[in-house]
Parts: sequence; C-alpha cells; structure tokens
Amino acid sequence: MTFFDPTKLNELLAVLPEIVLVIWALAILAFDLLSARGVSRRALGILTALGLMGALVACVPAALTAASYAATDPTKLVVLGGLVRFDLYAFAFRGIFIVGAALTALVSIDFRAARAGGEYYALLLLATVGMGLMAASNDLMLLYLATETASISLYLLAGFMRDTKLSAEAGIKYFVFGAVTSTIMLFGLSYVFGLSGATQYQVVADRLALSDSKLLLTFSLLLVAVGFLFKTSTVPFQWWAPDVYQGAPTPVAGFISTASKAAGFAIMLRFLPYVFSPVPSHYVEGSGVWIAMMVPLAILTMLVGNLMAINQSNVKRMLAYSSIAQAGYMLIGVAGFAASFGQNTAETTNALAAVIFYLITYTLTNIGAFAVTGIVAQRVGGDDFKDFAGLSRRSPYLALAMVAVMLSLLGAPPLVGFAGKFLLFRSALSVAAQFNNPVFIWLVVLAVAMVLVSVFYYLRVVLAMYTQRAANDAQPLKVSAPVAWAVGLCAFGVIATLLAIYPLWELARAAALSLML
Amino acid sequence: MRTDFAFVGVLLVAAFLLMGAALVAASLLRPKKPNKDKAATYECGMETVGDAWVQFRVQYYLFALVFVLFDVGGVLLFPIALAFNQLPAWTVLVISLFALTLLSSLLYAWRKGVLEWD
Repeated sequence: MTFFDPTKLNELLAVLPEIVLVIWALAILAFDLLSARGVSRRALGILTALGLMGALVACVPAALTAASYAATDPTKLVVLGGLVRFDLYAFAFRGIFIVGAALTALVSIDFRAARAGGEYYALLLLATVGMGLMAASNDLMLLYLATETASISLYLLAGFMRDTKLSAEAGIKYFVFGAVTSTIMLFGLSYVFGLSGATQYQVVADRLALSDSKLLLTFSLLLVAVGFLFKTSTVPFQWWAPDVYQGAPTPVAGFISTASKAAGFAIMLRFLPYVFSPVPSHYVEGSGVWIAMMVPLAILTMLVGNLMAINQSNVKRMLAYSSIAQAGYMLIGVAGFAASFGQNTAETTNALAAVIFYLITYTLTNIGAFAVTGIVAQRVGGDDFKDFAGLSRRSPYLALAMVAVMLSLLGAPPLVGFAGKFLLFRSALSVAAQFNNPVFIWLVVLAVAMVLVSVFYYLRVVLAMYTQRAANDAQPLKVSAPVAWAVGLCAFGVIATLLAIYPLWELARAAALSLML
Repeated sequence: MRTDFAFVGVLLVAAFLLMGAALVAASLLRPKKPNKDKAATYECGMETVGDAWVQFRVQYYLFALVFVLFDVGGVLLFPIALAFNQLPAWTVLVISLFALTLLSSLLYAWRKGVLEWD
C-alpha cells in the first residue's frame, strides 16, 4: 500500500473534483484576504459558483474514465491504496453535492451570513469536498474523516450568524448532536474493525463472512447506523433538524437539508450491503439485518415528518419536517434495495437508482424552496406562513417559483417530484411482487396516504401567497440578479427536468449498477 | 477468545463486590456528624467571589488554535526529519506541499489579526 507512488498518479483522477475544490477554497480565502478593501460578496459568491462548475466539469473526464474501467477491469476501481472507489456512483452523488453547493453559493449572495465573505464560501466548498469523499469512500477511516470534514464545516456554517441567538443555538445544537452521534458511529466502526481486522470495505466484508460473532456484528451495525441516521435525519435521530434549519442561515439550511442528506444516503447505501450482508435477516432471507431495521424506520420517519409538519406556523420548520418526511420516502427505496440485495440484480438496481433519482430531484426542489423562504425572511422580516401573504402580488415570479417547488415536493404529476415518487414507489412494488412480500405494498400504501396528508401543509404556503393580502401589496421584494438566477434555475429545473427524466434515470441506473460491480 | 473475556467478567464482578463491600463497611463504621460546612459545594477549591461565569478574552482561544498548527506540524514533521535521508524526491515534494499549507494558514491567521493582542 504505497500512497505516494508517482506511477499511480492517474489514480488521483478519482478525487479530481475534490482537488479542484480544495484549491479553489484556498484561492477564495487568499483572494478575500489579499484584496485590500475586501471583495464584494457578489463577486465571491459568483466565483465560488464558478469554481464549483469547474469541479463539475472535472467530474466528466473522471467519470468517463471510471466508466471505462468498470467496463474493462473492475479491479481497477478501488484506488489510492483502497481508500477510494472510483465509480460512477460516487460521481453521480458528487454531481448532486456540487450543483447543490453552487445554487447555495448563488442564493447566499443576498444574505447577511455571507457578509463574512471568504470564510463562508470556503467552508461551503470544504463541506462539498467532505461530501464528495463520503460518497467515494471505500474505507472505514476515510468514511469517518470525510463525514467529519463535511460535518464540521456545516456546524460552523449553521452557526455563522454569531450575533443572532437562533443561529448560535442552531450551530451549538447541530454540533452537540452531531458530535455525539458521530462518536457512537466511531464506536461501532471500532467493533467492525475489531471483528474484521481491516478497514477496506471489501476485505472487511470477506472477513466478516467468516466471523461467528453475529450478535456483536448486529450490535455494531446499530451503533454505526446511528451516524447514518443522523445525517439523513431519520427518526429517531431527527430532533436536531427543525431547530437547526430554523436558526441556520437559510441558504445553509437548504444545503444541509439536501446535499448533507444525500451524503448520508450515499455512505449508507455503499457501506451497509458490503459490511453487513452476512448478518441473517428476519424478513427476506439473506438480505441482512438492516432490512429488518429499515422498514420500521421508513414508517416512523414518514409518519413523524408528515404529521409534525401540519402543525407548524414557521415555514422553515415546516420545510424541516417535510425534509424528514422526504427522507422517509427514500428509506422505502433503501429498504427495497436491502430486501433484494444479492438476489435479484434488476430489483436492486432499480431501487437504488430510484433513491439516487429521488435525491437529484429533491435537491433541486428543496434548495429552491429554502431560497424563496430566505428571500421572504430577509425582505419581509419573518419566515412564518403569514409573512408569505400577498407574495403573488408583490413578486409574482417568486410566488410562481414557490408554487412550482411546493407542488414538486408534494409530487404533483407534471413536475419532477412526481417522477421521483413514481419511480420510488414502482421499485418498491416490484420488490413486493418479486419476493411476494406484502410489507412493501403496505409501505407504499402508507406513503401515498402520507403524500395526501402533505397536500395540506405544502398548499398552505400557496394559499398564503395567493389568497391573503399584505399591507404593502404593491411593493415588490428586492432580489439581486444572481439570487434571482438561482431561484429561476431551481424552478426551471423542477419543470423542465421532466424532459430530461430519461437520461437522468439512465444516469441513476448506471450509478447504481457501478456500485454493485 | 471467549474464555479470555471470562476473566474480564470475573474481574468485573469482583470489582463490584469489593467496591460494594468497602462502601457498606464504611457506612456502618463511620461516625455521622453532618454540619453546614460539610454539606457546602466543593468544587476544587475556594468558593468564588462574585459570578463564576467570567468571560475570557477570545484571543486565548485563537492563540490555542494557532498553536494547533505548530502542533500538527511538529507531530508530522519529526518522523519525516528522522527518515529524511531515505526519502525519494516525490515524497519530499508532497511534504513541502503539506508544510506550505500549514504555513499559509499561519499567514491567514496573522493577516486576520489573530496574533495581535489588542
């Protein structure tokens, strides 16, 4: 295991986006520091978004190389001394993180938190680096380090408005909750290492298959899962989400609710089937103990998210519970993936691809929702439902964008959120049909019922915007051009991605296939 | 493996028994004469005069953070210094990159005014 072998320099292609982003983060800091009077926030935000686009471009040749390795010699996919897996799966997730971060960078321009300038944007970039490595990590150590890189940057961003109590509270809560859960995860990882004597996933899986300590293995699964469940804000580790989203700077809340959640799913989907497939299951034979865990978690998460969202008066809190509910829907796909893993490749691929596809649509949509909420909070002075009153008259386009993202979160037919839900539920139903497993039919029934419940709280925003009047009806909200562009992109994406569903679904499927190679 | 852990179990039980016995014996034997001073809070020393929640200068914290830079540098550079004669040029390049990154963070802190006390 040589880490610095000049002949293997091409392996660095596997982390090319991260290299670009780290250099860019340092450049942003230096740029902010060296310019005598401080660069304008707008310039920094646009520069950050440009750097992220550069990283996205860097993903393309790297992903193509990964695809060609996958086609010719899958043994070449594990690179950099076994730390990183060089596959399309990682690059699909990197795409989610990078696009999410770029939109967040643009949206941040209007916000007070971004006035600190370079540090804010550098932290945003470093969080993206951590998430990219999370998606690619093929080793217990890198898994932990990457998770911490992403988390610590996000703790700081959540508490970035130090002078407001809510933001400081958000930062502290996120930090304390995150630190405790990641400690528990690390404890579990230490057991996995102790049982297998290895840190690289493939070796760990091989050795665990020979181990006879099933009980200890199940116990360590529970501990490790705590870290994943925290990242994806799954019940019972969802408590932090509403408080953190409410207090954190709104664009950061949007970023945490999308990219960070996607990163949680990325590590969960890569880690669990590898390491825990030897554990016998109770539902479907051979699928591992975590199917037994995933189904009740999906049910609980959907229920808690949807039912708690009804009663909120604050839109950011409502969005927080809605994002918990969305995680619940995605857990159906994770459960389907788990149930079919190792038995039927088509079902497994479809379930995994459905989760990835859902994450793509959800990221685009939810960042848009938080952006509009943030603009309203900034200009109207609050982010309760009543502050949205009369938005359709004050800023018709902003209101229209909000309608689009709300309907898409709901899963209304012409929008991209519908495609996500449809593919997710279809994959669950086909798992049910394939394995004659009624659990998945009931999961989908519950999910559809919960979607009906969510009509209430998503449309409450729309009703506030279109039926209520505000005192200063004629006065439009001030939105600077880059922010308007970002919101427009989200809304446009929500509507127009419909035309790109097929290529996106193919991409998600290719990513899913590359994981199981 | 299992029997090894059995020793730990026996030790654990023994530890609890011994501890319990000592506590019970002490509570039976010791004289009980409580008074106000004995019941007072004792936190490593004198009772505080005024509010204990004093704010310290944030500079202490920042200085500690800058110290971590040198700490990391020291921990990682000493072993490299020991093996320096055997290292290939490529490795030296990577190490210099690392050292430069550390240096740049010091420069950043300096420029941001962390090193000034007032």
